Amino acid sequence: MKILICVKQVPDMESRFKPDNAGVWFSDTDLAFRMNEYDEYAVEQAVQLREQLGDAADLTVLSIGPDRIVEALKKALAMGCDRAVHIQDPAAALKDPWQIAAIIAAFAKDKGFDLIFTGLQSQDRGSAQVGVTVAERLGFACTTTLVGFAFADGVITAKRELEGGVKGVVKLRTPALVTCQLGLNVPRYPTLPNIMKSKKKELVTIPVADLLHEEALAVTARFYPPAKKGGGIVLEGDVGDMAEKLIAILKEKTNVLR
Amino acid sequence: MNFELSQDHKVLRDSVRDFVEKEIKPLAIKIDEDHKIPEELIGKMSAMGLMGSYVPEEYEGAGLDMLSYAIVVEEVSKACGSSGVLISAHTSLACDPIYRFGTAEQKSKYLPDLATGRKIGCILLTEPDVGSDVSGMATMYRREGDEFVINGGKTFITNGACLGTGILFATHDKSLKHKGISAFIVDLKSPGVTILKNEKKMGIRGSYTTAFAFDDLRVPVANMLGQEGQGFKIAMETLNGGRIGIASQALGIAEGAFERALAYSKERKQFGAPICDLQAIQFKLADMYSRIEMSKLLVYKAAWMKDSKMNYAMESAMCKMCASETATYVTKEAVQIHGGYGYISDYEVERMYRDAKITEIYEGTNEVQRVVISKMLLA
Ligand SMILES: Cc1cc2nc3c(=O)[nH]c(=O)nc-3n(C[C@H](O)[C@H](O)[C@H](O)COP(=O)(O)OP(=O)(O)OC[C@H]3O[C@@H](n4cnc5c(N)ncnc54)[C@H](O)[C@@H]3O)c2cc1C
Repeated sequence: MKILICVKQVPDMESRFKPDNAGVWFSDTDLAFRMNEYDEYAVEQAVQLREQLGDAADLTVLSIGPDRIVEALKKALAMGCDRAVHIQDPAAALKDPWQIAAIIAAFAKDKGFDLIFTGLQSQDRGSAQVGVTVAERLGFACTTTLVGFAFADGVITAKRELEGGVKGVVKLRTPALVTCQLGLNVPRYPTLPNIMKSKKKELVTIPVADLLHEEALAVTARFYPPAKKGGGIVLEGDVGDMAEKLIAILKEKTNVLR
Repeated sequence: MNFELSQDHKVLRDSVRDFVEKEIKPLAIKIDEDHKIPEELIGKMSAMGLMGSYVPEEYEGAGLDMLSYAIVVEEVSKACGSSGVLISAHTSLACDPIYRFGTAEQKSKYLPDLATGRKIGCILLTEPDVGSDVSGMATMYRREGDEFVINGGKTFITNGACLGTGILFATHDKSLKHKGISAFIVDLKSPGVTILKNEKKMGIRGSYTTAFAFDDLRVPVANMLGQEGQGFKIAMETLNGGRIGIASQALGIAEGAFERALAYSKERKQFGAPICDLQAIQFKLADMYSRIEMSKLLVYKAAWMKDSKMNYAMESAMCKMCASETATYVTKEAVQIHGGYGYISDYEVERMYRDAKITEIYEGTNEVQRVVISKMLLA
């Protein structure tokens, strides 16, 4: 069973974001980067599936971006993927989800993948379009927002998270693509021995120009921080008064005290 | 010249950092209060591979390099100095001499259990009357047939009460001074080994500091480490590498305290503004961070020199000295920046202040490091 996992490297979300010179995305100088959280669930699920299937499974992890994203690929290899593909693109951040999906689909086409795992969305752009668009371009069955996953006899049973905590169960045959949500699993730590072993695993680099033949359908026109607002509500008075006011606010604006 | 970590080292650092954040940091206060690192945590650290970072893969270690090991001890010590020294003493002072001086049989017999954390290692050098001057050692060994019989006592043994694998130093003739000393690999669960006590301490309280008595401890002849009479050399070379581990521990403690002080200085408001607006606090932060970076450069350089098979004796002494003095300085200032809250346990910087002090003392006091450095300068 050939499995593809698509991951993205994103800035640590606690970073201070500044617009880049063109004002269309964030500047990546001085930022710390890590694997997109949802993609960690995707990698973990793929590795668990391999533990279930044994050597019958073959895991390829793919990422598009500048050289620094190799760190995310190395992490995925250390978590248990078998090989990595780096689609080298210093300008990946300026591409729209349509182009990113087109690149992945161009790579995956004719390679015989049975199952593709992606994150639900990226933590930085948050379009949630790439996974489903890849599925569409490849003609794969697709379901999103996985919080549960099982595989038997060529059929995936996916538990999905719907609004308000409601769950749904979807069955689909391979070839298929699924997108992963928080709660699906607890990603493992890459252990030191596995980090060492991953250094010997195959890592292929492909220039993006070899795979991209699509124009962007959408461009980000502007990236800017929100205007500074006042610092919330400050309650004053004696403790009793403040408690009363706080309770009133919680009752009015939230449902924690209903 | 390149001061950036390789991508492999960054992956390692981030993985260990995530592990520490979730598994160790929440326990650090309890470890200090209970005077004990939970078995379960040692199990998790072992599963993560932290106990055998640079032991080769053929002995079930991770097979990484010295720089990786320094990063591991640093990251762990950011959250918990006791856990940092557990790893450092185990790796530098037990795994390392067995790997460097052991026979093929000794390596395959002892290293896999150590590298996977099934056994915890320690070094037994110090005695009540033998500290900086190891040559006056009083613990005696004599040969009886296929065994050595050891009598005497050791004190201040980090990881001692784990009763794992120890590198024990003893003499067969006190008058020979350092030439009479040999090293032995001992199983501390053997008959003849008694724990006299675990010391109560100022800091690194989760780490055992154990006093032992040896009463006719019998060790197979095959367990002598290196040649007879080579013990002093083994001890000195082992401590050489160990200093990088202690320097990494000190560096981590300093960084942990700095992170907290920086965050606190932005949160705490007095006189209508965050205290980080005060130049008095700003200058402290600048000094603390600069000293941390200075120490880090030295620690990583010493590790890199060891990896590059260069003579790193001077660098290991310098990095241990600088990083430990950075740690006591930075933790002291971190307490000060926290004001009264810094003195309260919940804020953790007081623990870090207590934990930091030992790094100026063990594995060669800083006075001894200065002796080592100046001797080399003047040789
Ligand atoms: C928590 C803890 C853990 C330890 N872990 C271990 C362990 O795992 N294994 C082990 O074998 N030992 C261990 N030790 C012992 C430690 O290494 C010694 O305490 C240290 O080497 C200093 O020896 P000492 O305490 O006898 O001090 P002393 O040697 O008596 O030194 C007293 C003072 O004199 C100074 N001094 C001594 N000689 C000189 C000199 N030539 N020039 C200038 N100044 C000098 C020292 O710097 C110090 O200030 C540990 C100690 C502690 C407290």
